[in-house]
Amino acid sequence: MKTEKVGFIGGIKEQFSTKSLVLIPIAVGINLIGGTLASALKLPLFLDMIGTIISAALAGPWVAALVGLLTNVFLALVSNPVYLPYSLVSIGCGLVTGYMIRGGMFKKVWGVVLTWLACTLLSVAISSTITVLVFGGATGATGTSVFTATLIAATKNIVKSVVATSMIENLVDRGIAFLIAYILLKRIPKRFMSQYSVEANFDDAEIDD
Amino acid sequence: MAKTSNYVPQDSPLDRMDPRAKIYAIFCLGIAAIIFPYYQFSYLIVIGLFIAAGIAKLLKKFTKFMLAFAIPILIMLIFIQGFYSPKNVTIIADCGFAKLGLEGVEYALKIVGSLLVFLGSFYLMTTTTYTGRLVAALVDSGMNMKVGYLVLACLNVVPQMQRRMLIIQEAQAARGVDTQGTFFSRLKAYIPLLGPVVMSSFTDAQERGMTLETRGFGVKNVKPTTFVEAKKRTSDRVVQILLVVFLVATIAATVFLKFA
Amino acid sequence: MNDTILEVKDLSFRYRGAKRKAFQHISFDVRKGEFFCIVGANGSGKSTLCNALVGLIPFYFEGRMKGDVFINGKNTKESSIAELSSEIGLVFQNPFNQLSYTAGTVEEELAYGLGNKGIPREEMKKRVAKVAKMMRIDHIINKNPLELSGGQVQRVAFGSTFIMEPEILVLDECTTQLDPLGSEEIFDIVKDLNKNGITVIMVDHDMERVARCANRILVLEDGNQVAIDTPEKIFGNPDMVAHQIDVPDYVSICQELKNRGLFKGEVEVEEEPTIQAVKEALKV
Repeated sequence: MKTEKVGFIGGIKEQFSTKSLVLIPIAVGINLIGGTLASALKLPLFLDMIGTIISAALAGPWVAALVGLLTNVFLALVSNPVYLPYSLVSIGCGLVTGYMIRGGMFKKVWGVVLTWLACTLLSVAISSTITVLVFGGATGATGTSVFTATLIAATKNIVKSVVATSMIENLVDRGIAFLIAYILLKRIPKRFMSQYSVEANFDDAEIDD
Repeated sequence: MAKTSNYVPQDSPLDRMDPRAKIYAIFCLGIAAIIFPYYQFSYLIVIGLFIAAGIAKLLKKFTKFMLAFAIPILIMLIFIQGFYSPKNVTIIADCGFAKLGLEGVEYALKIVGSLLVFLGSFYLMTTTTYTGRLVAALVDSGMNMKVGYLVLACLNVVPQMQRRMLIIQEAQAARGVDTQGTFFSRLKAYIPLLGPVVMSSFTDAQERGMTLETRGFGVKNVKPTTFVEAKKRTSDRVVQILLVVFLVATIAATVFLKFA
Repeated sequence: MNDTILEVKDLSFRYRGAKRKAFQHISFDVRKGEFFCIVGANGSGKSTLCNALVGLIPFYFEGRMKGDVFINGKNTKESSIAELSSEIGLVFQNPFNQLSYTAGTVEEELAYGLGNKGIPREEMKKRVAKVAKMMRIDHIINKNPLELSGGQVQRVAFGSTFIMEPEILVLDECTTQLDPLGSEEIFDIVKDLNKNGITVIMVDHDMERVARCANRILVLEDGNQVAIDTPEKIFGNPDMVAHQIDVPDYVSICQELKNRGLFKGEVEVEEEPTIQAVKEALKV
């Protein structure tokens, strides 16, 4: 019964059960309070994808992608619409993380490191493209934009400077986010994890008497 | 108390307008601003948005929002593009360390103008639309209830989680968790602060799923209804048509300017 | 006369990944209009059993179920949670997890389940007004549910469940998280509903209350069905303490008086007769 073939689209649809759906707003919340907490502790980090990673581990890549998208939509709605185009970065990270976890990457520590690096590279590629193409190099007077502007003044090259800024920012930020998410995931009770279909290798034997 | 949305209830024509017409406005005006070759055009639309904000009795709030966004990004982009854009040919000023090029400045103005049209109309929509009504309107137009759930639930769940986080933060500070100290001691304080919220939220997720299921969530083959009314009036239809006509006219003018 | 409204037949369930069953071989029936209570220690399987009664098992929770639940003669396996919601409703502990999180006002919250079922707006408004009055929340109908107290939200949760017009209400410790006043308010509503013919199946820790209201009680221990009988029989049975059941104080008093030979009547479970028994013992 479990081995029924559902195909790619069917597989995506299957990820959006009610159980996964209610997880989405909560994961978005974790992303956002993770970010708020980082700034409250005056950490120079975003740490706003912990919920995305946790939802990827529980409910799969497409749920995680949606968590990423909605996190940015929420930020756009209540804080600054500049976040909207960058939702592509969050979607990409959700998908990459989700598929790599499906591939068993979270079973070993080196797998987590690999997922982190993949996610960082993807983030740099997408976010630099958006910063250059949509915003022309800067998104406002944030620390990052000022840093980019300084680099541009030094190197006279817009694209290189944006990529360099994004690389430094993402490598550290994603690294710590993955570390924290990994620690939290280890603490989730099995009884809860087993209700999600991603880790299907639970003992499903018939009730015995 | 955390804010769920920007919405400010007001008695104004913009408030009464159907949310779908406002979505049309964001896209028609935004796309028109992007495709039209002269940057001045987008600023004309921005002036229009200011007039709309005045009608919506939100002029002060709107002006504050637009300036807070426009000024920093304009300065940064004129610096980056004006001085360092490879497209620069016509030099309009020499500041010693670099030369200011006209093409770069125009490009910066064009980007900021288009962004202002998008952001301004988006902001006007969110400040004049009750989110429940927006979702009701979209459900009425055939949007899946699950999508509606996600939008509304995010707006409701997130502030609630933020409040819970604040309570934990205060409790931990009272217990003497180091929230000042060095980078690493602050990072170490992060997990005991975030952990409890994350862990309790999983039980919450499971129970909220139960609630949705017992409220008939995701029933198939039924056209869902909403408590909040979402009816398009004739005036809403007229606005929608005018917006589309505006976009088509802009496209026609752009094509004409490019080839004539 | 066959007035059985709910029937459980040899029901067992084990959650996916769990080593032991949440409960096993449970069989009982509930009659129309009955006030039926389920008691047992923490982890005895009460909540899981409630979930099985309303169809969340097998349709929502992953695991293996054996046996059947019949509501009005229909097997829940052949229905769906949504369909069952107009026959049997569930209210559980945490009020804030019984909100849809889609509503800006209490009236929208109440109407949410009706919207999912495609009930027309006119009918919706009628039912919302009726239920709001019944649950005594008509004064807060335009408030944001997230800004209400736990007791108020729990009444909204009752309303949202009851608006689907079920004949049976399953209450899983629905007052545990509330202050005494909020708890009493909820309980008054439950009693009213039962008086008006609604069948109530209630899990509660307050044995005094159980003793006072229940027509019959089902006792669970470690997932096994230990006893099913009237409150007098259950609490009058000295073995129940061994099954981790807190006996109401009234019962303990009567029992103690009996042990000391000061009281000869039947063990009482309610306040008034107990006072009489004490008076008799004191010879006043």
